[in-house]
Amino acid sequence: MKLKIYLLSLTLVATAMFASTDAQSQSSNPEHFFRAAGTPHNPKVNVAWNRYYSPSGIADIMKKIAAAYPDLAKLESIGKSYEGRDLWLLTITNFKEGNADRKPAIYIDGNIHSNEIQGAEFSLYTAWYLTESFADVAFIKELLTDKTFYIAPTINPDGREDYMRKANTASSPRSGVIPIDNDRDQLVGEDGADDLNGDGHITQMRRKNPNGRFIVDPQDSRRMIAVNLGMQGEYELLGQEGIDSDGDGSNGEDRAEGYYDPNRDWGWNWQPGYIQGGAWKYPFSQPENRAVMEFAMKHPNIAAAQSYHNSGGMILRGPGAQEDLPTYDRADTQVYDIIGRKGESMIPGYRYLVVYKDLYSVFGGELDWFHGGRGVFTYTNELWTGYLMYNQEGGGRGQDAQYEFDKDLLFGDALVNWETYEHPMFGEIEIGGFKKNVGRAHPGFLLESDAHRNMAFTIFHAYHTPKLVIQSIEEKDLGGGLKEVNVMIKNERLIPTHSSHDLKFKINRPDYVTISGGPKVITGMVVENADFNRNTEQVQNPSKMEVANIPGNDVIHVRWIVSGSGNYTITVDSAKGGIVSKSK
Amino acid sequence: MKERITKTMLVAAFLFAPFLGMSQSNYPTNAQTAQRLQKIASDHSQITKLESLTKTDGGADIYVLRIGTGDVDNKPGIVVVGGVEGFHLLGTELALQFAEQLVGEKRSALDKTTFYIFPNMSPDASAQYFASLKYERRANARNTDMDRDGRMSEDPFEDLNNDGHITMMRVEDATGTLIPHPADSRVLIPAKTDKGEVGAFKIFTEGTDNDKDGKFNEDSEGGIFFNSNWSYKYPSFQPGAGEFAVSEKETRAIADYLYDRWNVFAVFTFGPANNLSAPLKYNRSGATIRVITSILEEDQKVNAFVSDMYNKTITQKNAPDNSGSDGDFFQWAYFHYGKMSFSTPGWWAPMIADDKDNPDQIPNTDKNSEVNFMRWAEQNSVDALVEWTSVNHPDFPGKKVEVGGIKPFAMYNPPFEMVADIAKEHTDFMVGFSAMSPGLSMVNERIEKLDNNIYRITVDLKNTSVLPTHGELGDRAGWLKRIRIETGLAGGQSFLSGRGITLVNSIAGDSHETMVWLVQGKGNVTIKAGAPHTGYITKTLNLN
Repeated sequence: MKLKIYLLSLTLVATAMFASTDAQSQSSNPEHFFRAAGTPHNPKVNVAWNRYYSPSGIADIMKKIAAAYPDLAKLESIGKSYEGRDLWLLTITNFKEGNADRKPAIYIDGNIHSNEIQGAEFSLYTAWYLTESFADVAFIKELLTDKTFYIAPTINPDGREDYMRKANTASSPRSGVIPIDNDRDQLVGEDGADDLNGDGHITQMRRKNPNGRFIVDPQDSRRMIAVNLGMQGEYELLGQEGIDSDGDGSNGEDRAEGYYDPNRDWGWNWQPGYIQGGAWKYPFSQPENRAVMEFAMKHPNIAAAQSYHNSGGMILRGPGAQEDLPTYDRADTQVYDIIGRKGESMIPGYRYLVVYKDLYSVFGGELDWFHGGRGVFTYTNELWTGYLMYNQEGGGRGQDAQYEFDKDLLFGDALVNWETYEHPMFGEIEIGGFKKNVGRAHPGFLLESDAHRNMAFTIFHAYHTPKLVIQSIEEKDLGGGLKEVNVMIKNERLIPTHSSHDLKFKINRPDYVTISGGPKVITGMVVENADFNRNTEQVQNPSKMEVANIPGNDVIHVRWIVSGSGNYTITVDSAKGGIVSKSK
Repeated sequence: MKERITKTMLVAAFLFAPFLGMSQSNYPTNAQTAQRLQKIASDHSQITKLESLTKTDGGADIYVLRIGTGDVDNKPGIVVVGGVEGFHLLGTELALQFAEQLVGEKRSALDKTTFYIFPNMSPDASAQYFASLKYERRANARNTDMDRDGRMSEDPFEDLNNDGHITMMRVEDATGTLIPHPADSRVLIPAKTDKGEVGAFKIFTEGTDNDKDGKFNEDSEGGIFFNSNWSYKYPSFQPGAGEFAVSEKETRAIADYLYDRWNVFAVFTFGPANNLSAPLKYNRSGATIRVITSILEEDQKVNAFVSDMYNKTITQKNAPDNSGSDGDFFQWAYFHYGKMSFSTPGWWAPMIADDKDNPDQIPNTDKNSEVNFMRWAEQNSVDALVEWTSVNHPDFPGKKVEVGGIKPFAMYNPPFEMVADIAKEHTDFMVGFSAMSPGLSMVNERIEKLDNNIYRITVDLKNTSVLPTHGELGDRAGWLKRIRIETGLAGGQSFLSGRGITLVNSIAGDSHETMVWLVQGKGNVTIKAGAPHTGYITKTLNLN
């Protein structure tokens, strides 16, 4: 009996060890699982969605997805970062049907700002969810048959690595890592932050001082509060952990890397640094953004785009600057509003906002370029909001809630407790405060659900890229061997083949509606109003009609006058709407 | 008058041709530009560095010739750029002759300043000057869809009269809106309907409407204009501007090169814009908004002063106004690169006064530039006109269509024999300007001994130039380093007040900054001050 128990427990230990080292075998035993609705319960690629992944960790998961689903996912490097890391991108679609690069597509990226890390996990979750759900969820199967997802989880792997591996706050670095003389003092990176206590976090410094204006909060000893006027304080706050490395009288004014802002580097309404802080030399002067731009230029089928930032719980659209208001006209704004408001309802605590008036001014942002420079409907989501701490408005009421949330739900893991330190300039001080993975990044247990909700919003957006169908082909005999061919083409979704901004500047080529086969084409026209016979004739090459736009949830009518007989095929070829054809 | 000018020109040509020692008798081809640059570089290898920064899609090199002596990176730098427009071959020639003079008789300018010369930023386009079919091309060889209709190059130019030039084509048509200019019927101007005038002509560039869209030659071989591809007032999606600012090999090559050179403080452009004959105008509302559209007030004063110098050096007067065009290089160099930026076309047809003694001549009352140019060309026997001659045009059956007008390139590039004089004057001007490059000196140094080994050091750091060390926008734009003053102490000395590093944002022209330190301890104190664009100076003071 004893032996039996021993053997049994040995087997259990072995199973557990095996399972933890080989995800594949864990998933191979469906006896162990019961499906929760909406989640792939027996995935081929096992990923823990309650932690963050380094650039190499992300690349590893992407490779596994591509290997597990060769008919649904292809991996490529779209370029190299400044430090030489690959910028990985997964193309997710049903490769067995249609050409991936001719299907209406959405481009998704994250982590353009180094410290805004969870965009990478959210993007990656999307790639994982789509591939793992294809077989079981009919909607996803149809979606991936119609559409293509281009997913680049981190377009700033150098900054991600820096944020995770080096001493930082929740807000640093925002910049990429190219060394720059921020303060123009002729030295580069001479005075960065210093992790004095060596814990990987840049926290705060305080010093006992009877003339200080702060005391320890009697309710929570980790917290400093300001004393009222006329009352005696105990401490002064000395700012972020650091020393004045270059002896110029200011502390940490020139980081080792940066500062420039990768999201002020894009080629629409770009402005230089003195107008738009963080802009560098000229649009796409940073290699990571240049690689994304080149990818987007080569993929005119991108009709929608999404970039994930943090934080604040926002679904943002442009314009980034008031000077750029005309770029978002009524027709385009209507489309944005419908999708954005749907997003608000899907993601609790998130609000649909406009960058320039609800956030701050941004010239040369990524979303501005996708919309203004490419005619692509684009949102930026600012992930994480204090709302998610207690699922109520005001959950983000300053640091009060943060301290409470840390006590109640994180059990103290969010903070470095005050400890004394002998500072070369300030003397005896204490160092402590919030860790870098708190305040902007989701705590682990909230990561997956928010990723799923944001993904669902992005899927809704992708779903509404154009879907073209040739609704009908009807003929009318004109006598004398001539006939009219009337073709109705419907866009079944919300997003037009050309945004109205695109039409204004002719950013993308027109849609082509072609007739080929037996009959001889005498002339062709786009019918604006069939009842009143209001048409626009195309004189040159009428068998290939150039249609400026196929609006969302609307129909266009193309008419040819032809002679002769025989079968023919109508083909609609739209850069952002894909290709469809029908024969008669 | 006509005879006299011609004679002067001949004398000038005779005098200068042997003096310059060149066989050049026309504007330089790309190959000739390369040869001349290579000759300068090999004849003067100690003071020059010639680099090809990139190759254009048309296979031409983008050259930069650095000319300088000593610590070239830590001397004020001046950039000279030609060929910002492909049709402006004069600019390339002026830049080349400037370089040739700089390594020769103007060599002393190198003591103070380093020069970076980019003779031709539009070599793909300027090659059209030498092609069998000549037209004023601005575009590089990148394949683009000029009219953004999805069809590539479907409506190019055609040389209908087979003269090797693309000129204009005028059509007599009742729906036309143009009439002949009263002073010269070869020039068409809009009919003033409110003055009772009735239009009778249409005008197009020479060619056929290949795609039958009613527009002529709107989509030739495509390409991007160097001078429309810059980020200041970037003309999004306009023909030749590209898909976004600074998208081209040529633009990125020069931008990357310049952003790496912190010593550059001024940029001279030979191109259509002109802020030298007359300075840019200051506009308060444009200078005080976020995205500024006006030169700043202090910088305007500098521009006015330099313009004054230009007009004292250059004999040509009455230049046409041109304060730049959207996306051009000259404005970028000021508004985004943040340097002093100056531009001149180098030459323009002088305004020909109406001949009051000639009763047959109708005065050019509106100072029409084409009428004026034709008068100038006739007076100077310059072959610049293609007489209007009738052609049969397939797009206008039964209509009178004539081809003719001013020859391409003629309005921007004078006969080559005039160039030597122009180059000499412009070289003199730029060398004169370079003598005012920012520089520093330390004056009025005082050491006051207080009690007990304590010394007060006072030094005036003076800007030796009449120009500011940092322009008003230059200080803001961030592409000039601040002046750094490093005060080094000997062992045993310490600061009682002041620091080892002091940073100064800007010193106005002929002004100074007073520096004070309180030091305890005897010994030498070494003060080093400067920035790459001012050069560096050092002074050692002995505290005893």
